[in-house]
Amino acid sequence: METLSIYAPKLITSREYIASGHRACSGCGEVLAMRYVCKALGRNTIISNATGCMEIISTPLPQTAWEVPWIHTLFENASAVASGIECGLKALKRKHGYTREVKVVAMGGDGATADIGLQSLSGAMERGHDFIYVCYDNEAYMNTGIQRSSETPFGASTTTAPSGKASMGQHTWQKNMAAIAAAHEIQYVATSCSSYPFDIMTKVEKAIKIKGPSYIHILSVCPTGWRCPSNSTIKMGRLAVETGIFPMYEIENGKYTLNIDLPKLRPVEDYLKLQGRFRHLDKDNTAEIQEKVLDEYNKVKRLAAGNKAK
Amino acid sequence: MTAKRIGIESSLAVAEAVRLANVDVIAAYPITPQTHIVEGLAEMVANGHLDAEYIPVESEHSAMSSCLGASAVGARAFTATASQGLILMHEVLLVAASLRLPVVMAVTNRALSGPLNIWGDHSDVMIARDAGWIQIFAENGQQAFDQTLCAFRIAEHQDVLLPVIINFDGFHVSHVIEPMHFLDQKTVDEFLPPYRHPHALDPDKPVTMGGFAMPNMYTEGRKSLDTALRESKKVILDTWKQFGDIAGRYYKPVEKYQAENADTLLVTVGSYSENAMDAVDKMQAEGKKVGLVRVRLWRPFPYKEIIEALSGATNVIVLDRAISLGGPAPVCSEIRAALYSLKDRPQVVSIVGGLGGRDISPANFEKLIATALDKIKTGDAAETIMFGVRE
Amino acid sequence: MKREDTIEIRWHGRGGQGAVTSAELTALSAIHENKFAQAFPSFGPERRGAPVLAFNRISAEHPIRVRSSVIKPDIVVVLDPGLVTLINVVDGLKPGGWLIVNSTRSIDDLQSEFSGDWKLAVVDASSIARELLRVNIVNTTMLGALIKTTGVINIDSLKEQLEVKFGARAKANLEACRKAFATTVISSIKTGGQKKVRTFAVENLAKWSELPVGCVVTDVGNTKQFCTGDWKAQHPVWNDSKCIKCGICSLFCPEFCISQQKDGYFRANEFYCKGCGICAQECWTQCITMVEEA
Ligand SMILES: Cc1ncc(C[n+]2csc(CCOP(=O)(O)OP(=O)(O)O)c2C)c(N)n1
Ligand code: SF4
Ligand code: SF4
Ligand code: SF4
Ligand SMILES: [Mg+2]
Repeated sequence: METLSIYAPKLITSREYIASGHRACSGCGEVLAMRYVCKALGRNTIISNATGCMEIISTPLPQTAWEVPWIHTLFENASAVASGIECGLKALKRKHGYTREVKVVAMGGDGATADIGLQSLSGAMERGHDFIYVCYDNEAYMNTGIQRSSETPFGASTTTAPSGKASMGQHTWQKNMAAIAAAHEIQYVATSCSSYPFDIMTKVEKAIKIKGPSYIHILSVCPTGWRCPSNSTIKMGRLAVETGIFPMYEIENGKYTLNIDLPKLRPVEDYLKLQGRFRHLDKDNTAEIQEKVLDEYNKVKRLAAGNKAK
Repeated sequence: MTAKRIGIESSLAVAEAVRLANVDVIAAYPITPQTHIVEGLAEMVANGHLDAEYIPVESEHSAMSSCLGASAVGARAFTATASQGLILMHEVLLVAASLRLPVVMAVTNRALSGPLNIWGDHSDVMIARDAGWIQIFAENGQQAFDQTLCAFRIAEHQDVLLPVIINFDGFHVSHVIEPMHFLDQKTVDEFLPPYRHPHALDPDKPVTMGGFAMPNMYTEGRKSLDTALRESKKVILDTWKQFGDIAGRYYKPVEKYQAENADTLLVTVGSYSENAMDAVDKMQAEGKKVGLVRVRLWRPFPYKEIIEALSGATNVIVLDRAISLGGPAPVCSEIRAALYSLKDRPQVVSIVGGLGGRDISPANFEKLIATALDKIKTGDAAETIMFGVRE
Repeated sequence: MKREDTIEIRWHGRGGQGAVTSAELTALSAIHENKFAQAFPSFGPERRGAPVLAFNRISAEHPIRVRSSVIKPDIVVVLDPGLVTLINVVDGLKPGGWLIVNSTRSIDDLQSEFSGDWKLAVVDASSIARELLRVNIVNTTMLGALIKTTGVINIDSLKEQLEVKFGARAKANLEACRKAFATTVISSIKTGGQKKVRTFAVENLAKWSELPVGCVVTDVGNTKQFCTGDWKAQHPVWNDSKCIKCGICSLFCPEFCISQQKDGYFRANEFYCKGCGICAQECWTQCITMVEEA
């Protein structure tokens, strides 16, 4: 659990902005992350959603799980649609007497964010639109059946980078989206995880206050794609954080803060061995991953300690 | 009412129409030969002559996506593009129509790669034929100005709510300085009511836009879109009538020139129509029974007007400024199909010409007509003829 | 037109249980026997846990041309015991056809609910799979019951397909098949019993002319009408004596369906609960237990 009182759930608004009856897999962590994001956003929000699991599971015509204004157009353009919404609202306010303060939010999966939609996200951040971008990173293209993305972890087996006699599966390291977002010199970048509702909500609340682009990258556990039991979703997210595989940090005006700084990290094996997508890995693979994880974790730690890495 | 006569480049005239329409959001990406339009608009915004958000997006895909976002919250949105830009936008075009977002776009028609070519050609927009947009062709700068104003009124009409493309030829129209009449702001304000979308995204009245349809919903969704597009013709005709009444310039879906008593009718689309007029005048003076029919409204396809204009002719020659590789030229194949149900139907010859900016002068038009009639005589009119190609 | 000799099979399972694999193995085995066969899933966005369908057509004589859904199956196979009371699994089942069910219940018990002019076969495939495969995935086990009851394919051709598909794990799967073959209980036709299945209201979908502009949905949050409770194979049961009323279970429920009662204790809304087990896993005091559906 996070470091808050165990009675903290009581402090969270009981208001939901996504309705039950959505079609996410049993035990889906991505829809949980989205739920927390929306709770923090509240009703004065317009959402531009990329194609992907969250879009498909929430809007089977003639039904919708959404209770805030929501638009889906395509896979790679959520940020560009959000740009138009934000500018449209600006013009409506200036010219046509529109008065409501609305936060514009674009959201998409890791594929929509780090791969096919990276250009439109980069454009929107660079232009400085007042919007929040939320990436739900479940580390593959899940909607289309677990294909690899540039966020799929090293060693994971997916349907387009399967493990086999001649391959260990994914042989590239994950793209660092938080750093890419930060390189746009936007005011607020954060990482979070679907097992940490308070962390997600605090970060979204911070992002709402920023005038300009902000970027939140949420590791979202997908029991279907990760091949782990549906009841292990929350545990798996915690393990990602506790092993250092997924450090949770903020970059505010370029300054790093590590939000959960553990005195001792758990071995990555604790995390890897519970997931079918890593089942084929051998000791050497695990050692290689362990080394890289520590490297990356320490990099963030050094940055958080005041860019001593230089 | 109508302002004084001025000389101006057509692209800037379109920018002026967009300014008069008091557009809220412009999202655009440069591409020749469209760029003068969005440069003109950027300048107006920078000088404070137009109060709009100008989004200098990083691609045409994003230009159209941003227009969708703006239109979805109830802001009037405009963009312009051509050629590769239009093709890159393609995916988004279809969604604009299906979400019924009345974006207006100027397309300065240009050839498609490859080889890369920046000059006039209709291949870019013909590929967008099935995207669900209303499509109108303008033949000169004045028409481009007029049709841009009409486009907003048509698109945003509550019975329509569909996006509109105004097509005009790259360079041959876009870059030509011509004499024109503008309308003044007051007249435009009266002609063009404010934009309102019945389901605009707004926290006070939340809606879900863009859900996905299973096989049990998709057909109904397409039928409803198709019907809206077909029925938009009523509003288009009505808008052109009203526009004519205030501007003195009347437009029709299909326009005839010296077509009465002609037994051979040439059908053209776009700026070549004016070259063709000169050719027709000359041939008629020589006693040849040749007339001209110009297609202005391309989508929704004006079946009735096409049949009415062409059914009396013996020969119809359709000039396409686009090639459909390996298949029949687009405008001709649709016209042929429209005429097929007639008992006494004219012979129809398909000609492709003027690709990638290649000129067809009035003299060439005479040659073109002669070539086509020859083909009919020899009973050899089934295949598309490519005109003006070095053999 | 369906040719007389074509046998049509409909498989009922849940997303993730492998009904599609059952259909695939059946078709591949039949093709291996030089028959004509098809296997196809119901193409939809169903996710893990949701009831799903898969289909087969098999003909010894004729190439199969029909690609439509199977509406009037000769054989219905139900992989998930929970589905028989949730879905009208016998919908369209031909007179004289087969209903083959994975269940721990006795054949007489089932027959009291599912009698009609079809034959019933029951096997406790879940126990077999748990014992021999060490997972409750019965897609291969149920093939043993299919072979025993209908003989549409034979076990030797299945063996080869299992080897291709599962490699080293083929042996255990085949063993599970054989055990199912040996333990499937069959009854003959017995009409007159009561059929106790939930009947679904036919979805009243809009005509094209009734669709709102752009197919927007204005009735926001209307997925609430949709029962995802069908998806669960187990449900949470609370032991309130240990509950400290912290609300953690509610916080982590991906269906947002656990709420606090008037008495301060928490309960799940069974209409939405998909049985993921997160609440039971995350409860601090372990007062939630997951119980298999009947
Ligand atoms: C242009 C385009 N290419 C491909 C697709 C197919 N597609 C839809 S969703 C998706 C993957 C989504 O992955 P991600 O963004 O990670 O979201 P997730 O489903 O994992 O939440 C793909 C490949 C598409 N819809 N559009
Ligand atoms: S595939 Fe993964 S992310 Fe998608 S709905 Fe299922 S559990 Fe959620
Ligand atoms: S998590 Fe357990 S202790 Fe807390 S409210 Fe739920 S049932 Fe009670
Ligand atoms: S098992 Fe528990 S957490 Fe999972 S859906 Fe049911 S009530 Fe919610
Ligand atoms: Mg993903």
